[in-house]
Amino acid sequence: MNDRRRISAEAVVIGGGIVGCASAYYLARRGVQVALLEKATIGGEASGRNGGGVRQQCRDRRERPFAIASVKLWEGLQAELGFDIEYVQGGNIRMAANDARMESLRREGAEELEDGLQVELWDRDELRRRAPYLGDVFIGAKYCATDGTANPILTTKAFGWAAQRLGATILTRTEAVSIGVEGARVASVTGRDQDGEIVVEAPWVINAAGPWSAALSRAIGVEIPVEPARSVIAITQRCAPLFREFISSHDLGVYARQAREGQVHVGGTNVPPHTFDQRAPADVLEHLARGAAQMIPALRGANFLRSWAGTLEMTPDKVPILGYVDRVKGYILATGFSGHGFCLGPIAGKLVSELVVDGAPSLSLHEVRFSRFG
Amino acid sequence: MTEQVEIAVVGAGPGGLCAALAAAQAGAQVALIDNNRHPGGQYYRQTAREFRGAPSSHQREGAALLQQAIAAGVRIIAETNVWGAFDDKVLALNDGAATTYLQARAIILATGAYDRPVAFPGWTLPGVMTAGAVQTLIKEQRILAGKRFLLAGTGPLQLVLAAELARAGAQVVAVLEGSRVFPRVLQHAGALWNQWERLSEGLSSWLTLARHRIPYRVGWGIVAAEGAAQVEQATIARLDGNWRPIRGSEEKIACDTIALGYGFVPFNTLSRLLGARQEWRPELGGEVPARDAQMQTSAPGVYAVGDCAGIGGAALARVEGQIAGSAAAAQVGHGTADAIPARASALARERRFQRMYAALFTPGVGLYELSQDDTILCRCEEITQAEVRHALALGADTTNEVKLITRGGMGDCQGRMCAHLIAHFIARETGRSVAQVGMLPPRPPIFPIPITALGVTR
Ligand SMILES: Cc1cc2nc3c(=O)[nH]c(=O)nc-3n(C[C@H](O)[C@H](O)[C@H](O)COP(=O)(O)OP(=O)(O)OC[C@H]3O[C@@H](n4cnc5c(N)ncnc54)[C@H](O)[C@@H]3O)c2cc1C
Ligand SMILES: Cc1cc2nc3c(=O)[nH]c(=O)nc-3n(C[C@H](O)[C@H](O)[C@H](O)COP(=O)(O)OP(=O)(O)OC[C@H]3O[C@@H](n4cnc5c(N)ncnc54)[C@H](O)[C@@H]3O)c2cc1C
Repeated sequence: MNDRRRISAEAVVIGGGIVGCASAYYLARRGVQVALLEKATIGGEASGRNGGGVRQQCRDRRERPFAIASVKLWEGLQAELGFDIEYVQGGNIRMAANDARMESLRREGAEELEDGLQVELWDRDELRRRAPYLGDVFIGAKYCATDGTANPILTTKAFGWAAQRLGATILTRTEAVSIGVEGARVASVTGRDQDGEIVVEAPWVINAAGPWSAALSRAIGVEIPVEPARSVIAITQRCAPLFREFISSHDLGVYARQAREGQVHVGGTNVPPHTFDQRAPADVLEHLARGAAQMIPALRGANFLRSWAGTLEMTPDKVPILGYVDRVKGYILATGFSGHGFCLGPIAGKLVSELVVDGAPSLSLHEVRFSRFG
Repeated sequence: MTEQVEIAVVGAGPGGLCAALAAAQAGAQVALIDNNRHPGGQYYRQTAREFRGAPSSHQREGAALLQQAIAAGVRIIAETNVWGAFDDKVLALNDGAATTYLQARAIILATGAYDRPVAFPGWTLPGVMTAGAVQTLIKEQRILAGKRFLLAGTGPLQLVLAAELARAGAQVVAVLEGSRVFPRVLQHAGALWNQWERLSEGLSSWLTLARHRIPYRVGWGIVAAEGAAQVEQATIARLDGNWRPIRGSEEKIACDTIALGYGFVPFNTLSRLLGARQEWRPELGGEVPARDAQMQTSAPGVYAVGDCAGIGGAALARVEGQIAGSAAAAQVGHGTADAIPARASALARERRFQRMYAALFTPGVGLYELSQDDTILCRCEEITQAEVRHALALGADTTNEVKLITRGGMGDCQGRMCAHLIAHFIARETGRSVAQVGMLPPRPPIFPIPITALGVTR
C-alpha cells in the first residue's frame, strides 16, 4: 500500500456529476490532460437521480441563454457520446390551473419570444386537443416544442465514459479533501481513496462538487453560497404510452415525464427543505400521489413502485455560479445549479473548457459570476 | 392520520405471533400487522376458508397461538402491507384502499424470508416455480401446480413438500438434494439432540417418499429446464463439493413442473429502511441485521426476529419472538424482560440446530454459476447475464451500479428476485466478495401501492 501518490494533469475536476463529467469531456476534447475525482460513483447524486427534464422555458432570464445553448448541444449529444441516452425532444408543457398563473405564463412567454425561444400559449381547448391525458383542472398552458427529456444516469455516465475514451483520468471512490494553493494560484487537489492519499497537481481546479462544493472551498477562503436541499421522485410501474412531454404544474406542485420503458416519474415543485438527508418522507410521497392523480387522471389506476431523493445545490438567487474566482487564479466554480442543472450540464462543461483553453467563454458569464454575491 | 401504539409487530408468522403475545402478556399495548388474509406466516399457513378440511398440526398450533394473542389483547391488522418505515418509528400501512400511519415506541420486525431464486438456462419457462409457491398453492388453495413434479434444492423441506405432493396425488419424478447430506449429518448428530419432533416429521415424509417410490438423489442438482412453451424436461447432473455440475454426469428427466427449494433469503428491507446496520452472512441466507442478545438491531427500539434476521426455522423464530417481545415490553415500561434468561437454553438449542442446518444446507457457489450469457438474471426487466457483463465492462462493480446501467433490479419485485443473482455474478466476475458488491438500497414503497391509496388517508 502506498500512502501518498502523485500524478500531474493540466486540469483537475472535483465531482463526477453531469457538470464535472461534461467539463472533463469537453476539456479532453480540447486536448487538455484532465483528471476527475469523484468521492463515490459517477452520476450517483443529483445528476443521476433527477427528473430528466431538458427544458429551456420557464427559467430565470439570466439563465435562459445558457439553456438555449445547452439544448443545441443536447441535440447532437447522443451521436457525440456514442451512447443511447434516451434523449427525446418531446416538448415541455407548463400548465395553469387559474387565471393568475395563466397571466404570468403569458408574460413569461412574451419575454421568452423576445429572447429567441419559440413558445406557444394554449387555451383550454388547445390544451385538451394537444394533451388529452391531462386533468380538467387546467385552463391553459405554455408549450415549448424544443424542450425534452433524457435518462439522467445514462447521460451522466456517458459523459464520463466519453471523457475516459478521450484520455481523461477518472478516479471514482476518491474524495477530494483539500485544494492546494501556491501564491495566488491553485496548484493541486489532494484526494483520498481506499489506498490512502493521492495528490493531483494541476494549474487549473474546477469545483463541480454540487451541494458539497461549499465545504471544500471554505478551507481556501472562498465561501460559496450553496446550500443542500432535498428533492424526491416517485415512479409508477410500467404504464402504456401516455405522453412524451415533460409536464409540470406549479399549482398542483408536481411535474412528470414518462420514461421509455413506460414508468411515469413524478417529482415535486414545492420549496425543498435544506438538508443532506436523502430519505423520502411519507407526506412528500402522498403529495406526489395526489398531484399525479390530479394531473394525469389515467394514473388513478397505477401503482407507485419506488421513490428516491436527491440533493440539490441551491444558491440564494437560484441561478448558477459559473466562472473564475478573482482572488485565486486557476480556480473555476461550476456549481449552484439550483435544481436546473441537468439541462445545463453540457453547456456548463463546454464553457469550463473554454475558460481553461481560450481564456474567454463563448457566452457571457457576467450574470452567473461568483462575485455577484460579493 | 397517525395512530399511536406502544409496540408494533410486523409479520404474523411464528416469530411475530410469539413476540406480540409475549409483549401483550407483559402488559404492553400491541398491534400485529400482516399482509395475508389469515395470520400465521409460512409455517402456520392457514387454508383458505373455502377449502377447509381437517387442519394440520401446524395449522392447529398457529390458530391456537393466534387465539392466545387475541385473548391477551393484541390488535391484529390483517391483509395490510407495511410499505414504508419513517423517522420516529412511524410505519406506513396500506390495505389496498387507504394508507394509515402507526407510530410505535418499539418495533419488532418478523417479516420472514422468501425463496432463494436460482438462474439457469430455462428458469423463466412456465412450469419452473419455487417450492414455496408450490406449497402455498397447496396449503392455501388446494391447487396442484402441475402433474409431474421435479423437486430440486436442498434441505428437509423438500421432503415435506414431496410428501405433500404425493399425498395430493401428484407424480414426483425425483427429489434432487444438492448437499451430500448423509455423510455429513453424522458429524452434527450432537445438535440433533432434542430435535425429536423434527426427526419424526422428516421420518414420516421420508416414509411417504419410499411408499410412493420417489427417487431421492443426494448430490444432484438442476442444470437446465427445456421445453417449447412450457417445461417438458429438465437436465440434471451430479454435483461436486462446491455444487458445480460434474461434466458427463448429465441426465434428462421428463416433467412439467420444477419446484426449486434452494433455501430462503431473509426479507430484511424494513430493517434496512429503519437504518439497522446489516451484515453479510451467507450461512444465514444473505444480508441480515446485526442484533444484540435482546434481538435489538443497531437502530434503538427496533428488534428483528425469525427468518428476517437469519434463516433458522419456526422454532427459533418462536424463541426469538418471545425474547424480543419481552425485551420491547420492558423497554416501553412493562415487565422486566425475564424471558431472556428463561429462554436461554431454548435459544442455545435452536441456534445449534440453525448452525447445523446451515452447515448442511447452504448452497455452494456452483449454484450461482449455472446461468449462461443468454440467461435472464432480472425477470421483471428481462436483463440477461450478457447485459450485466457489458455493464461490468463499462466499469460497474456493485449491484447498484449494474442496476443503474442495465435496469436490472428496477422492476416490480424491487430486486427481491434478481439482486442475489446479479450480486453473485458480479462477485465472480470481478473477484470481489458479495459483501463488497452489495445489495440494492431499499426504495419505498417496498411493495407497489396504488397511487389512489397513497393519496387517500383514512
Ligand atoms: C430529484 C431531482 C430532480 C431534478 N430534476 C431536474 C430536471 O428535471 N431538470 C434539470 O435540469 N435538473 C434537475 N435537477 C437538478 C440537477 O439534477 C442538478 O442541478 C445537477 O445534476 C447538478 O449537477 P452537478 O454535477 O453540479 O452536481 P451533482 O450531481 O450533485 O454532482 C456532484 C458530484 O460531486 C461529488 N463530490 C462531492 N464532493 C466531492 C469531493 N469532495 N470529492 C469528490 N467528489 C465529490 C458528488 O459525489 C457528486 O457525484 C433535479 C435534481 C433532483 C435532486
Ligand atoms: C415458502 C416457505 C415454506 C416453508 N415450509 C416449511 C415447512 O413446510 N416446514 C417447516 O418446518 N418450515 C417451513 N418453512 C420455514 C418456516 O416456515 C419459517 O422458518 C418460519 O415460518 C419463520 O417464521 P417467521 O415468523 O420468521 O416468518 P414467516 O412465517 O415467514 O412470517 C412472516 C410474515 O410476515 C408477513 N410480512 C412480511 N413482510 C411484511 C410487510 N412488509 N407487511 C406486512 N406483512 C409482512 C409475511 O407475509 C408473513 O406472513 C417454510 C418457509 C417458507 C418461506
